[in-house]
Amino acid sequence: MPYLGSEDAVKELKKALCNPHVQADRLRYRNVIQRVIRHMTQGVDMSGVFMEMVKASATVDIVQKKLVYLYMCTYAPLKPDLALLAINTLCKDCSDPNPMVRGLALRSMCSLRMPGVQEYIQQPILNGLRDKASYVRRVAVLGCAKMHNLHGDSEVDGALVNELYSLLRDQDPIVVVNCLRSLEEILKQEGGVVINKPIAHHLLNRMSKLDQWGQAEVLNFLLRYQPRSEEELFDILNLLDSFLKSSSPSVVMGAAKLFLILAKKFPHVQTDVLMQVKGPLLAACSSESRELCFAALCHVRQILHSLPGHFSSHYKKFFCSYSEPHYIKLQKVEVLCELVNDENVQQVLEELRGYCTDVSADFAQAAILAIGGIARTYTDQCVQILTELLELRQEHITTVVVQTFRDLVWLCPQCTEAVCQALPGCEENIQDSEGKQALIWLLGVHGERIPNAPYVLEDFVENVKSETFPAVKMELLTALLRLFLSRPAECQDMLGRLLHYCIEEEKDMAVRDRGLFYYRLLLAGIDEVKRILCSPKSDPSLGLLEDQAERPVNSWALDFNTLVPVYGKARWATISKCQGAERRGLELPNTASLAASGPLIPEEDKERVQELSDSGALMLVPNLQLTAEYFEKTWLSLQVAHQQVVPWQGAVHPDTLQMALQVVNIQTIAVSRAGAQPWKAYLSAQDDTGCLFLTELLLEPENLEMQISVKQSGARTETLSSFISVLETVIGTIGDIKP
Amino acid sequence: AAAMIGGLFIYNHKGEVLISRVYRDDIGRNAVDAFRVNVIHARQQVRSPVTNIARTSFFHVKRSNIWLAAVTKQNVNAAMVFEFLYKMCDVMAAYFGKISEENIKNNFVLIYELLDEILDFGYPQNSETGALKTFITQQGIKSQTKEEQSQITSQVTGQIGWRREGIKYRRNELFLDVLESVNLLMSPQVCPSPGQVLSAHVSGRVVMKSYLSGMPECKFGMNDKIVIEKQGKGTADETSKSGKQSIAIDDCTFHQCVRLSKFDSERSISFIPPDGEFELMRYRTTKDIILPFRVIPLVREVGRTKLEVKVVIKSNFKPSLLAQKIEVRIPTPLNTSGVQVICMKGKAKYKASENAIVWKIKRMAGMKESQISAEIELLPTNDKKKWARPPISMNFEVPFAPSGLKVRYLKVFEPKLNYSDHDVIKWVRYIGRSGIYETRC
Repeated sequence: MPYLGSEDAVKELKKALCNPHVQADRLRYRNVIQRVIRHMTQGVDMSGVFMEMVKASATVDIVQKKLVYLYMCTYAPLKPDLALLAINTLCKDCSDPNPMVRGLALRSMCSLRMPGVQEYIQQPILNGLRDKASYVRRVAVLGCAKMHNLHGDSEVDGALVNELYSLLRDQDPIVVVNCLRSLEEILKQEGGVVINKPIAHHLLNRMSKLDQWGQAEVLNFLLRYQPRSEEELFDILNLLDSFLKSSSPSVVMGAAKLFLILAKKFPHVQTDVLMQVKGPLLAACSSESRELCFAALCHVRQILHSLPGHFSSHYKKFFCSYSEPHYIKLQKVEVLCELVNDENVQQVLEELRGYCTDVSADFAQAAILAIGGIARTYTDQCVQILTELLELRQEHITTVVVQTFRDLVWLCPQCTEAVCQALPGCEENIQDSEGKQALIWLLGVHGERIPNAPYVLEDFVENVKSETFPAVKMELLTALLRLFLSRPAECQDMLGRLLHYCIEEEKDMAVRDRGLFYYRLLLAGIDEVKRILCSPKSDPSLGLLEDQAERPVNSWALDFNTLVPVYGKARWATISKCQGAERRGLELPNTASLAASGPLIPEEDKERVQELSDSGALMLVPNLQLTAEYFEKTWLSLQVAHQQVVPWQGAVHPDTLQMALQVVNIQTIAVSRAGAQPWKAYLSAQDDTGCLFLTELLLEPENLEMQISVKQSGARTETLSSFISVLETVIGTIGDIKP
Repeated sequence: AAAMIGGLFIYNHKGEVLISRVYRDDIGRNAVDAFRVNVIHARQQVRSPVTNIARTSFFHVKRSNIWLAAVTKQNVNAAMVFEFLYKMCDVMAAYFGKISEENIKNNFVLIYELLDEILDFGYPQNSETGALKTFITQQGIKSQTKEEQSQITSQVTGQIGWRREGIKYRRNELFLDVLESVNLLMSPQVCPSPGQVLSAHVSGRVVMKSYLSGMPECKFGMNDKIVIEKQGKGTADETSKSGKQSIAIDDCTFHQCVRLSKFDSERSISFIPPDGEFELMRYRTTKDIILPFRVIPLVREVGRTKLEVKVVIKSNFKPSLLAQKIEVRIPTPLNTSGVQVICMKGKAKYKASENAIVWKIKRMAGMKESQISAEIELLPTNDKKKWARPPISMNFEVPFAPSGLKVRYLKVFEPKLNYSDHDVIKWVRYIGRSGIYETRC
């Protein structure tokens, strides 16, 4: 970050730090050091005063010591040779009579991330493990993990591991928990710390002495313990019972998860536990701590997936208050949608209807979608409410209602009649692409039941020249052709006009090709058209399938109390797979030849891209041909939809990048030669709805970050984020496997 | 790991970094900027308090206009990280009061000291304010006496993590605060039937401040229905006296110092308290709640350009008690052009920027009622959208517990030192505040 005058600030502070008068005045000296830390916090590079700060570490002022150590931990990787000078003071402090000084010095010394520090910290750590003050032991135990991380892939020190295992019996609760954490990191390659029977029982007995962080951690470690017998299992569950009532919601959830996992063969025990945590979860859902409330709601949704009736009698607890934050309201609406049953459906729908006119368009739309979801079971009531909403003649409401209708008639054909009666007049209140597409689709597929369908479509045909969304034109072509089959007399003329326009004047190639295709199809005869276009108009079995997909508790028990319910399973899969790719990337041998013809993207990542497209989230069309001129014109006409930076090191190999992007159907339009400064690349891609993604990659000289700017021709945030995650995966992978 | 935190950042509302502490290598300096760009500077409403940017999770909470963010790349347990952030706020508040930009800037060294102690390598360590006090030295200069040094050693070798040995007070004193927040959602009144309670609950906390010498055993009693019924079997007299006043607690949780086994078997609450302030218990009730105020709204549309609003509030508690800081917020439509207000008590003002009439009353006794009427002039609009009336919300503070909870006793035993329960000075205070208190109209 370029800060004006940051160089002057460094110079001035350096001068002050060297000034003997300042050094003599304890308060002034500390004040100058504070200013250094303040600048450091703001991101100014303060490594220039490292030498002076090392000198300042030799003091009896503990606050000053703490500040200097914090400084050194930040800049030691940049100034390793100078940092070694500080080691002397640190070692001396490690044998100070005051346990606080000993702990502080040891903690800081272990946090210096620089090569060669290991040989200095080994002995102090070993001494620390045997220190009489537990404060120092806590620090030393975690120091072992820090030391191991510094070594990287070095071998595990068996003696040290044994010492840590024996410290699990330490008197101090935090030392015990830190031992678990430290062993977990050191033994990562071997699958983590081993929890055998004696250790498990020892930990269980110590549980009540631990603070909430310790309890949560231990509950997590106990997940990997397998009781030998049923008897032992139930003994353990009895011991854990009281933690289901802990004052800390996360301990409650941790205990619940352990119950669910241990009792995976006893469904009645699982149900019983879920009953027991109902109270605490409901309490968390109505707590003033909003973020906690959010986390609890996510877990309520998770439970509802398996036990839809679990919270039904408490449905009023999930009614939204006006002043609640947006994210809580959205979660509550989802919950309401899932717990609805015969008894409460009336009240729940009444409540949701109130939200549909909320001032926040976003929230109103979420409520409409929720009603659409409930409509799969309680069709008549919901369709009536949705129809009434159309009478408000609000654009943001109408568009979502029509989209809901489209999805609904596909799943519940019995409501088609009602939907068809509600549609006339809607076209006046729809401006966006999604809404128009839905309306046109409905008019095409069910047009024979809607008297004025041809006239509405005619309006769209009249205005096709000024239509901005290619996807709407595509939909219009198909719909009009379908309607032509059932009402030829009214449609023939305008179909001719539309085809003429699409073939002769349309600039979008996909639309033009679609027009040509239908034109040729018509030449093949009307029976052929019918055979191809008249597919089923609904698929009620789909709805049933979704309802029956009730998942057993065991399918999500492992995800309970993690980030999975918070992000949603699909999203978490994307996030964690990327992390997996990252790690694999790092493990690739350095000699891997990049230009080789082997796959650049690990197999799993290809699968991921595949998965994404299967779920319908984002499907990038292959072999998109875009000219540089068209790219430039479009690029200049659009706003940046997303910008972010990803870490990067060194130069870029354009060929490697281009090949990797090709695999995921992202085309390279233009790219700087290797080593150019600044280095730039322009990329383009298009998804199956016709939405374009234009991207600029920018690497500034000396910069360790690649800046990504994406522009999108339609505004669909969900595909934008999937596109970005695809792009990130590729760039992350290439970045990591570079030699 | 359940809660491995890679870094902690504190920002002001402009997105300037006030505090930044990185604990793990996988969190780089660019994370600080990513959060500012993607969350603080984002134009839309926050869609989730957990934001994922480039595979990094940012857990954020906001206190006044300060953002606190915990950052991690691990699959941690969300509730835990938020609890940790709350704890951090509590600890900071215990040192310097309100979490504001000014206080954070002024206590910047102290915060770095705290961050050094409560997390190590990203793992939560000791976070009890009382215990932390030994390690945080704002005086700086090595001024610890031999005695204090031995305290550090003894504190952590002792069996009880939340209390150190050898505490001495000249005057043994304790303060109990019963703090409740009462929440209400009322349905609109559809003439002639009055509005119904859609949902109501009280979430309460018993906060104790103890200044007691030695290792005192405390026993706490309240008018919990189950306890009273249990004892009632013994003495029928007491049941008749207090039976009506006992309350049903839906669920409650305790500070870890409370022996849960004893609570389960005898429903008695006994514990050795931490020194200083701590939260003894947290509970929730949903039955027989005393709703301190009823709000009765009446809205009449006069033509297309005028609204008449009348709101009556009734206080529903003993006449001898006084409610304070009463504020009623009556929303007005977006196209309001002018407002005339008449109120019998307090002051009312139309605040155009907030689209609401705010009516404030300093004090109001129980069993009274007060009324406000307003005429709202509307600009004619072409907007066909009907005004979705937001609910009328209320704020207040009352000197009793809306759940009906009463502290019956708090006994202190310290067998090793020579003071008895009678020598301890005890104070009890009840405060009921409005949580989300809304009446739809």
